[in-house]
Amino acid sequence: MSKVVACYKWVADEADLRIDADLSVDFSRVKGKISDYDKNAIAEAVNIATAWGEKAVGLTFGTAKAKQSVKDALSRGLEEGYWINADEAADADGAAVAKALAAVIQRIDDVGLVVCAEGASDTFARQVPSRIGAVLDWPVVTSVMKIEIAGNGLMTVRRLDDCMQTVKVQLPAVIAVLPEINTPPIPGLKAVMAAAKKPVHEFKGGDLGINFTPKTKAVEFKGYVMARKNVIFKEGEAADKVRELAAALRKEGVL
Amino acid sequence: MTRRRVGLFLTEEEKFDVIIVGAGPAGSACAYILAREGKSVLVIERGDTPGAKNVTGGRLYTYALELLDQGLHEEAALERKVIREQIMMLSGDRAITIDYHDPSFNEEGRPPMSYTILRGVFDEWLAGKAEEMGAMVACGIRVDELIERDGRIVGVVAGEDEMYADVVIAADGVNSFMAQRAGLIEDIKAETVAVGIKEVIELPAKTIEERFNLREGQGAARLILGCTEGIHGGGFLYTNKDSISLGCVFMPEEAGQKKKSVHEIFQDVKMHPSIYPLIEGGETIEYGAHLVSEAGFRGIPKKLFREGFLMVGDAAGFVINTGYSIRGIDLAIVSGIAAARAVIGAEGTAAAGPLYMEELKKIKLLPTMQAQDGFSDILETAWLYDKVPDLAADVFENLFTVTGEVPGSVKKDVMRLIRSNDLSAWQFIKLGFKGMRAL
Ligand SMILES: Cc1cc2nc3c(=O)[nH]c(=O)nc-3n(C[C@H](O)[C@H](O)[C@H](O)COP(=O)(O)OP(=O)(O)OC[C@H]3O[C@@H](n4cnc5c(N)ncnc54)[C@H](O)[C@@H]3O)c2cc1C
Repeated sequence: MSKVVACYKWVADEADLRIDADLSVDFSRVKGKISDYDKNAIAEAVNIATAWGEKAVGLTFGTAKAKQSVKDALSRGLEEGYWINADEAADADGAAVAKALAAVIQRIDDVGLVVCAEGASDTFARQVPSRIGAVLDWPVVTSVMKIEIAGNGLMTVRRLDDCMQTVKVQLPAVIAVLPEINTPPIPGLKAVMAAAKKPVHEFKGGDLGINFTPKTKAVEFKGYVMARKNVIFKEGEAADKVRELAAALRKEGVL
Repeated sequence: MTRRRVGLFLTEEEKFDVIIVGAGPAGSACAYILAREGKSVLVIERGDTPGAKNVTGGRLYTYALELLDQGLHEEAALERKVIREQIMMLSGDRAITIDYHDPSFNEEGRPPMSYTILRGVFDEWLAGKAEEMGAMVACGIRVDELIERDGRIVGVVAGEDEMYADVVIAADGVNSFMAQRAGLIEDIKAETVAVGIKEVIELPAKTIEERFNLREGQGAARLILGCTEGIHGGGFLYTNKDSISLGCVFMPEEAGQKKKSVHEIFQDVKMHPSIYPLIEGGETIEYGAHLVSEAGFRGIPKKLFREGFLMVGDAAGFVINTGYSIRGIDLAIVSGIAAARAVIGAEGTAAAGPLYMEELKKIKLLPTMQAQDGFSDILETAWLYDKVPDLAADVFENLFTVTGEVPGSVKKDVMRLIRSNDLSAWQFIKLGFKGMRAL
């Protein structure tokens, strides 16, 4: 079998985001983290590589800040880290990201599988896995909640709205996984220490020969405030209040 | 790859010269020196990043950083250099503020005496410096247990992993779990610690400078008395670059007997007519609570080491609270340096402990704590926390009140006020006596 590449994104930790009174979004105190869903992708890549007796490696495209992510990624069981350092990553769109990732995937020897998350926890645009497949001309399976090894290929289960679809896919392929596919283990001491010694390969965005100019552009970020109805049921006994509440919720279509 | 086997039949990757538990100021300072001098060092920190959840008031005395490496303060992640030392006394809605400004504290050509800091930023920076020196810092991992062999501490357990070292250094803060496991301290006693709560309130730098009469880069440090409803304790306020650290420290036992919770008392402090204008319009961006050791010199455990094991910083009880200032971060750094020096200088693990005690004396930490021991007696004086601020405010009220009436004699008025505040001259004499001893 061949190598598994886990793609992940270094995103802003939403816990540090602040929405100011004028609804502007304050990023000034934001720290980075590996997108939560990508932790599932990394764990799944490691699982499959282990079953194959092969190596799983990590790949990310980001600004210089993304460098911090590599050690964390490697502590999650990946054997090598690849990262693309490009200022353009700050406002790249899905197409540019996929082109950059695919360019490096092509430079890694003998890749049999690329695992991504369905979407990143910041923008959740769900563009990258399919676009990587398009650039590489590999099959893509999205919304995957289960993967089993089936001979030379993989048997995957996709979660659709209210049913499940089983899809067999040939390799090499790109798979986008859902968070329920696994519970990523928290790295232990030895894993964290081992990460410090694993090989890291850096690529400069400019060396990949890609036009990063985005065709879609984020024009504005604005906080979203839900308008509250502010209805308080204070008359009568507890039972009456509950009845009124239930009636009101039913009227809203929530119950 | 051939793996060299060392000590205890372990591979090189599994054994370090030193393992340090905790990447607070004590742990990182210790790691910095050890790594600089060529020791293999592993620092294990349970927070996802160093300082992630650490709470402190917010002032660091610069001499400690200078001891670590000359000139280090110039690149350190610091907030503002303190140029105003302030003491505030609150009585009801009244307030007295003393503002001491001494240019000699911040003379050109010398490092400024102290800086305000935010731990999240500072701890991460200091741990990063230790990493630059070659220490390995493993974050997001909690040490669960010590490994003991033939009466010697030889390593630590974290989750399913064991790691070995010649020396394990407990830099895990107040109520050190490591020191408990080593049998050197017992579980915490309520009367020896206080509970500190703190908020970081964000405000534009310009606003802070206007409100505290500061220039760019300059800061104020303020201790507040009379804000704890008579509970042993006090408040503090530090100006950061674009935020204010405001907090209160309380003795938990007394606080438990009050009707109001410490959080409610703290909310009242924030709303005080002389405090609110300082933080008005700001937004609370961080809230934290933490224990702080109150016992001073007499709170230091009898033994600070075992073979293969040393305690530094808060874990060793190194905090001085004089009522007008809290010192813990500088002592943490200094004790980390002393421990590193002891490990480097010792021949054999058994020698490191006694040498550490020597180094603590040489670096003036133990003598400093001993010299300030008397403050614990003063701070035990219950009426310091309500009656003194009340009396001071009464005296000032008397001095500044002009209504057209014939004023009384100042001396008589003061004696009347002392009596009406339920105090006696005798109490002042006793306090003065304790004060003399403390100084
Ligand atoms: C409200 C308040 C105000 C204060 N104000 C000031 C001030 O203005 N100036 C001053 O000098 N001092 C002040 N202090 C005291 C000062 O904060 C401490 O003395 C200082 O932080 C001690 O440093 P340390 O490195 O020993 O411990 P800590 O800063 O407590 O660091 C201990 C580290 O160990 C980690 N850790 C703990 N257990 C484990 C484990 N089992 N495994 C792995 N990691 C672990 C923790 O996560 C932490 O990062 C204040 C304290 C409080 C609570």
